Amino acid sequence: MKADQVLIAHHDVLRGLLRQLTETTDDQTAERSRLRDELLRELEVHTQIEDELFYPAVRDVSPLLSLAHAEHRQIDDQLATVMRTAVDDPEFGTEVRMLSATLHHHTFEEEERMFPQSHALGDERLEQLGRQLQERQEELYRSGAMRLIVRLKRMTLRLV
Amino acid sequence: MSVRSRLERTLGAVERLQVLDGPGYQLEHGVALTYLLTGRFARPLQDLLHGVWLGHPLHPALVTVPVGSWTAALVLDGLDVTGRGGPGTGAAARTAVGVGVAGAVASAASGLTDWQHAHDGARRVGLVHAGLNSTALALYAWSFADRGRRRPGRARVTAAAGFALTLASSWLGGALSYRHGLGTDHADRSPEPRRFTPVLAESELVDGEAVGATVDGVPVVLVAQDGEVHAVGGTCPHQGAPLGEGWLHRGELVCPWHGSRFDLATGEPTQGPSTAPLPCFDVRRQDGRVEVRRRGNWRGPTATTTVEEASR
Repeated sequence: MKADQVLIAHHDVLRGLLRQLTETTDDQTAERSRLRDELLRELEVHTQIEDELFYPAVRDVSPLLSLAHAEHRQIDDQLATVMRTAVDDPEFGTEVRMLSATLHHHTFEEEERMFPQSHALGDERLEQLGRQLQERQEELYRSGAMRLIVRLKRMTLRLV
Repeated sequence: MSVRSRLERTLGAVERLQVLDGPGYQLEHGVALTYLLTGRFARPLQDLLHGVWLGHPLHPALVTVPVGSWTAALVLDGLDVTGRGGPGTGAAARTAVGVGVAGAVASAASGLTDWQHAHDGARRVGLVHAGLNSTALALYAWSFADRGRRRPGRARVTAAAGFALTLASSWLGGALSYRHGLGTDHADRSPEPRRFTPVLAESELVDGEAVGATVDGVPVVLVAQDGEVHAVGGTCPHQGAPLGEGWLHRGELVCPWHGSRFDLATGEPTQGPSTAPLPCFDVRRQDGRVEVRRRGNWRGPTATTTVEEASR
């Protein structure tokens, strides 16, 4: 798979999780907690593979890197708000919808603008980059350090 | 080569220092984490330091404290060295250095808060600006300690070096404001359209969603909400983001780039980083069309007559 296809596939995972989370009701607290934790982990992995591999690779063909970083930041800040909001809080749904809008804008920016620009790298390079992204993604899913980071993040965000 | 073109080259070189991007993002992550750890205070604290309450960035106002105090300290040191100062001069210089250090810490906090959202060249210039200022701050802190330890000679040398760095760094700060337009108002402030002008069909509005359009070359955002239609400027005052790509949260318009939020009725920013309000437009519905007209505000009523029309 080419790099942009790998990332679009992962965007679909993120969008799917957010859709499921949006569809939960205030009394489905266990389901909400589970989906929220999964989303936290997937977002952490996504940000990391983009920051580490994809963005440095497209630096010379896309002028949108700063925007992508700004959008990651906005997603991160809103995710923190979602983590701080209790799953049975009546405001939980509102905050999740805000996170969803933020994520949708970011994936739109990448899929409609940055990824077409990345095609300037050529098919071969994109295939190679795609393999690197998938390998790194698998590595992060298995990584103990990643699990620790996610757990620490979850704990601190709920404390403050 | 002229002074200006030398400076220009230096600025260009700093703007292209891509090696700064890695450390820059690390620093931003650090700032972001620090704010996250303040929990619910993260937003109010950042808005305070951006200057959302002030209407323009707080940082340039705060830096007058260290620059002024350290200039005074330089003068007092000069008087002391040449023996024209009188008995209290050394103590006065120490106080001035100390006040400057306190002001510099506050300036650094506001500067970092604004810098988080800078892009590309401006982000690199900002990082160098911050590095030079932090070095100057460290030199002045050392100088302040030396003044307490009765090491006046070394204290004056470190203060003078700190002053030189502050000047160089202020120049970069000026480039950030006047060249990169960081902190300036990027919204469209033209008086157009002065008369009700059709923008789009009523059927194109989606309840609870932001719709972007252009009227007389002016970007606007239309929002149908609770049976009312609001129209505000379509360019974020902070860094010019297309607000037509934004969305609504708790009835407010959210900027897609850095998350500024705006009240749709007044255009006021309810959350930074934007410190300036959005322009507002009067809306009327006519024969299935939505028409807008620039609304007058406290800065001045909108002229409904152009100069040419008035002179006819």
